Amino acid sequence: MYGASLAAATVISRQALHPSVDAQASLFVPRSLRPTTDSPPDYRIEISEIEWELSPKKKVHTAAYNGQVPGQLIRLQEGKPASIEIVNRLDHAEIVHWHGQWIPPDVDGSMEEGSPMIAPGGQTRIAFTPRPSGLHWYHTHAMANRDLKHGLYSGQFGPLYVEPRTNPGQYDQEQFILLHDWDPYYSASDDGSLMVDYVAGSINGRMLGSDAPIQVREGQRILFHIVNASATEPHWLALPGHQFQVLALDGRPVPNQAKVDALRLGPAERVSALVTMDAPGVWILGEVRTAFRNSGMGTVIEYAGRTGKPQFIPPDRLQWDYRAFADLVPAKHKPDVTVPLIFASKFQGHGALDRWMINGKSYPETALVFLQEGLRHRLVFDNRSVDDHPIHLHRHAFELVSIKGAALSGVLKDVVIVEAGSVVEVDLVANNPGNTLFHCHQQDHMDSGFMALFRYA
Amino acid sequence: MKSTLFAIALLAASIPMVYAQGNYEIQVYGAETVAPRNTMVELHSNFTVDGQRGYVQDAAPTYHAEHETVEITQGINDWSEVGFYIFTSEQSGLGAQWVGDHIRPRVRVPEKWRWPVGVSLSTEVGYQRALFSPDTWTWEIRPIVDKTSGRWYFAVNPALERTWHGPDVNLGVGFSPAAKISYDFTKKITGGFEYYADYGSITNIASLHNQQQQLFPAIDLNVSPDWEINFGVGIGPTAATDHWIVKGIVGRRFDWGHKKKTS
Repeated sequence: MYGASLAAATVISRQALHPSVDAQASLFVPRSLRPTTDSPPDYRIEISEIEWELSPKKKVHTAAYNGQVPGQLIRLQEGKPASIEIVNRLDHAEIVHWHGQWIPPDVDGSMEEGSPMIAPGGQTRIAFTPRPSGLHWYHTHAMANRDLKHGLYSGQFGPLYVEPRTNPGQYDQEQFILLHDWDPYYSASDDGSLMVDYVAGSINGRMLGSDAPIQVREGQRILFHIVNASATEPHWLALPGHQFQVLALDGRPVPNQAKVDALRLGPAERVSALVTMDAPGVWILGEVRTAFRNSGMGTVIEYAGRTGKPQFIPPDRLQWDYRAFADLVPAKHKPDVTVPLIFASKFQGHGALDRWMINGKSYPETALVFLQEGLRHRLVFDNRSVDDHPIHLHRHAFELVSIKGAALSGVLKDVVIVEAGSVVEVDLVANNPGNTLFHCHQQDHMDSGFMALFRYA
Repeated sequence: MKSTLFAIALLAASIPMVYAQGNYEIQVYGAETVAPRNTMVELHSNFTVDGQRGYVQDAAPTYHAEHETVEITQGINDWSEVGFYIFTSEQSGLGAQWVGDHIRPRVRVPEKWRWPVGVSLSTEVGYQRALFSPDTWTWEIRPIVDKTSGRWYFAVNPALERTWHGPDVNLGVGFSPAAKISYDFTKKITGGFEYYADYGSITNIASLHNQQQQLFPAIDLNVSPDWEINFGVGIGPTAATDHWIVKGIVGRRFDWGHKKKTS
């Protein structure tokens, strides 16, 4: 592995690492540590500014990977070491996070854990052994603060698929679908605080009608790998006349492969779902909510031999419950340790973003959470705010064990939506030592203090 | 709709003395418009504790008059709305009376243009009975600029008025600015000051003594996104101003299908 070795004990302020602040040069990959190996990396990611055409009428100026949105599909083999070269052509420091991977903190891509930033004009090469298998993604982990051009508001994201050692999947076609929202701006939310809204949405970097249709044939089984790469928005996705058989959530196979009419994905959530193409026509695979679909979040599914205007019919009802994919019995093991985590916000004015807190403190003042290796920790997410939160834990997966008091088991995730005013409990087996970041995956929330660092005792 | 407070209706009755105060709708406009497929229904209740006691150009006094105004505003799209007003008055000797009606289209700079301040422009046309306003047909154009910064909110409404029918028809354009500054004490309670004035004709500004000048300490209660509640007490220090007014606004938003994109 290449890269700087940082003092693991350092708790780094994200404020100090805002893209406009490049004074933290010591935290960057030093030029002396640039890789000198002659062997080519498995993949190379070049971060640069581009002019991206969402549609013939809508272009955005954004930062992206390898000149495209989303970044290229990176396919790795579970358990087979891989190397990635990352080049930063931007004028500010960047960092790439390998979301969903159980890898060491110095390559995970989080400066809070100890991964080094990549200085402007700098480059690095990282190496890790991919695990677990399944659908994951890679994306910037830089903060944006109030600058809506940075962080995940930009086009810095791409799909990562880790091939399992054995592949039980049976499908005719595989499609990667990445959702993103563009052109963010601040607006007043219904609850009186400032929020981020968007002008446009896209699937795989194109607005509805601007990309070539996905061609299918009747009877085919299409495996959709869907990532919500939005900085802040949850999304509902439907394909009229078809059902999604959910095989995996956040890359982890689910015990109950239930069929649903629509998928809900919070920011950073992933769904792998099989769809049997048994309703010939020309359809829109798109956001269920009209405003989002009209702003571009959709793509066309076209059966062979079928023509006409793409149709969208919203499902009769929108329902999403993680329990539908779980064993509806309590988790087999009792927790060794219980860790209460209370989420709340502090009002900063109708013209400001709320300050977010975990157990009464905002990052970097949030208390360190100590994990004991090998023990089962029950994390109790008590959301006392009026917002839903996509809660993410780096470098680990957790098992959902209760949602609003209802028991479940068998669903392993690394992001879970904790609805406003609700309690979700998850079990974390501490089996990957090293600093581990815990945060809300809404960019504006994590930038406003909704983070904590987990550390192995 | 956040801080959609607006002002109107300090109707100029003569120059240089500016009097025959309206007191039907006392609100400083914010730049935001009602969302499409939403309807805002507001009741403005204004009681003049100490005001004009005699008839002015055959217009009824305001002293101890209770003015109730129903305002219905329909959002058209994300940058326009239309408002409609029904003005009424209840006072000793006259009983409950219909005063008049106005219509008020308004356009705004959409949020997605990302201007550093909120900007909108409204125009208001309407009729009021001569018993309550010597000028029966009036027109107003009202630029609106506002800014929310942290806990602070600022809005200015430098309104211009024109009489189409009535004694002031030849007096040109009147200047009736309004402004507001407020502070969010909590998420639900906002307090501040609202300022309303009528300087008379822009080509013949009245003396301070004859101007209408009014300052309202006011409170907004942000109890729900569907409700708007505003309360204030107005102090008018000049001879041409009603000296004490108590005002209240209760508004209810009705959503006919539009939801904000965030769920």
